[in-house]
Amino acid sequence: MKKPRLGFFKYSCCAGCEFQTFYFQKHLMETLSSFEIVFARMISSGGTPEGPFDIALVEGAITEAWQADELKKIRKRSAVLFAIGACAVNGGIPAIKANRPEIEVEENVYGDLSAIHSIRPHPVDAYVPVDGHIRGCPPGERDLYEALTSALFRKKPDFLRQSVCIECKLKGNVCVLVTFRMPCMGPVTNAGCGALCPSYNRACYSCFGAMKQANAPALARRFRTLGMSGDDIARKFTMFDADSIEFRKAAELYED
Amino acid sequence: MSGSGMTGGPVFQLSEYLISKKSFLQWTDSLMEGFTIIGPAWDGRQTVFREVGSSAELTLNYVTTMLAPGKLHIYRPKEKLFRFSLSGRQEIGELPAFNGKQIIVGVHPCDTNAILYLDRTFLGEFKDPFYEARRNNTIIISLNCTDVAPDCFCRSMGTGPFLNADSGFDMLLTDFGDDFLVEVKTERVNRLFNVSGARRAGNEEFALKAAKEKSALLKFTKTIDIAGLDSLLRDNPEHPVWGQTSDERCLSCSNCVMVCPTCFCYDVVDEISMDMKTAVRHRQLDACQDRKFAEVHGGNFRARRAARLRQFVTHKLDHTRQYGVFGTVGCGRCITWCPTGIDLTEIAKEIQRTKR
Repeated sequence: MKKPRLGFFKYSCCAGCEFQTFYFQKHLMETLSSFEIVFARMISSGGTPEGPFDIALVEGAITEAWQADELKKIRKRSAVLFAIGACAVNGGIPAIKANRPEIEVEENVYGDLSAIHSIRPHPVDAYVPVDGHIRGCPPGERDLYEALTSALFRKKPDFLRQSVCIECKLKGNVCVLVTFRMPCMGPVTNAGCGALCPSYNRACYSCFGAMKQANAPALARRFRTLGMSGDDIARKFTMFDADSIEFRKAAELYED
Repeated sequence: MSGSGMTGGPVFQLSEYLISKKSFLQWTDSLMEGFTIIGPAWDGRQTVFREVGSSAELTLNYVTTMLAPGKLHIYRPKEKLFRFSLSGRQEIGELPAFNGKQIIVGVHPCDTNAILYLDRTFLGEFKDPFYEARRNNTIIISLNCTDVAPDCFCRSMGTGPFLNADSGFDMLLTDFGDDFLVEVKTERVNRLFNVSGARRAGNEEFALKAAKEKSALLKFTKTIDIAGLDSLLRDNPEHPVWGQTSDERCLSCSNCVMVCPTCFCYDVVDEISMDMKTAVRHRQLDACQDRKFAEVHGGNFRARRAARLRQFVTHKLDHTRQYGVFGTVGCGRCITWCPTGIDLTEIAKEIQRTKR
């Protein structure tokens, strides 16, 4: 059987997802031997982005117009395309500026704006249809494996869509929100990390982004009863997924 | 051995003893050669039902645990079902069911009743071989409650604080200070129970037991009136309390379902190797608060959060039609572990106050 052709594309991000996929993840050897890696800048300077690809993985938020143009071309050349990592899935860290006027952010950072072409940050699926989201920062092993195997088996991927709490309870972790009154984002955050932070007595900070239809305002109000300031609550909901409808509703409750 | 309550076996003539707690723990220690001993024990952050290496680890004075023993050690949160391969000749490799022997010590009445509830699901018309093997190889030593947590409402459900089930468990303990009142309920545990220093319990001990039950009954703060609840919830599916609670508080996080000792729904998932040579099918707990739960081709039965919240609450308070008993055993875990403190007894009261 011919190996599926894989392309990995990077926009505004740290390239950590590509490193995770090709250097660190648990199923590294199978991944490298099961796919023909046609284009992946972090493992080879060669290759061509022209395609066609059986599977394209796209990391990073879209923060400049040329990225959106290129992304649309890649979509056309790819049988399946997955957004990988918090930035591509939710806007991630680049999207912390999503709730402020672009000019205000630019003036904060740069003196001369003549060479700055940035636009409002958006996730990949704001511009092209995707076949699924491999969430997380870094991306979760389980969903990454699911995406890769679904491309190999030509099946519809089955990504986790439940809350982090389910993974936490399956592990038998004591609830850090209920027991220690920590502002844990787990109840409104999409699963896939295996409840990593709560397993180490830390509150989830939602690097996997909002669970679809999550009732973020209800959790934000709960955080208020824990004594958190409005600013701190707004920051909780804008750190990794400021561009989502779910978290927008929560942040709006406490933003100036 | 007596029946599990489902199959109905010969009823064993009861015997009752009074023994010191020390002797009791020595007895459970003596069983470690033939059995895995599971019981309430501290894990550094909380009391959990886990395997212990010595009876000294048991904290039998615990009040409640986050996860129920039945859903951890009889019905497993995640269980491998069988192996199969996809490449070449397709073969199915059966996995052996549990063949160890285990004893769960210190199961409170609510959790004992929850196991009897799970029996109705897994040992009913269709028997689940994995559950059945584990159930048959598990000796259950129940423990009556003398302490009551703020969210306990077993008194209202008739499932506690003292156990009044006839069968389905092997032994019942009642805390008598330095001693346990031990009621042997099955022949298999009677054969194991030869303890020096155990003396027969009589009327005096049972009078004391009754007094202890009476005093435990007085400690409850949470109550629910179950009269007519069934039809009440059925007749009020669009009561504003559902929408209001789900808008203001419900997070759809499924904590309620995960900690519920009677929630039995599971999902079946395959794990397939990239070379397609090995695949394992397993099942793991599923949760009706999850949006995907009721998703089918073309739509979702319970796309609204309010519908999902109602699904959980009515399965606990309005499903006597399913098995003839309420789905809740009144352990209160769903209240304790809800991040926003949603209380199904309050929902029921709200509907009772403002019913159609």
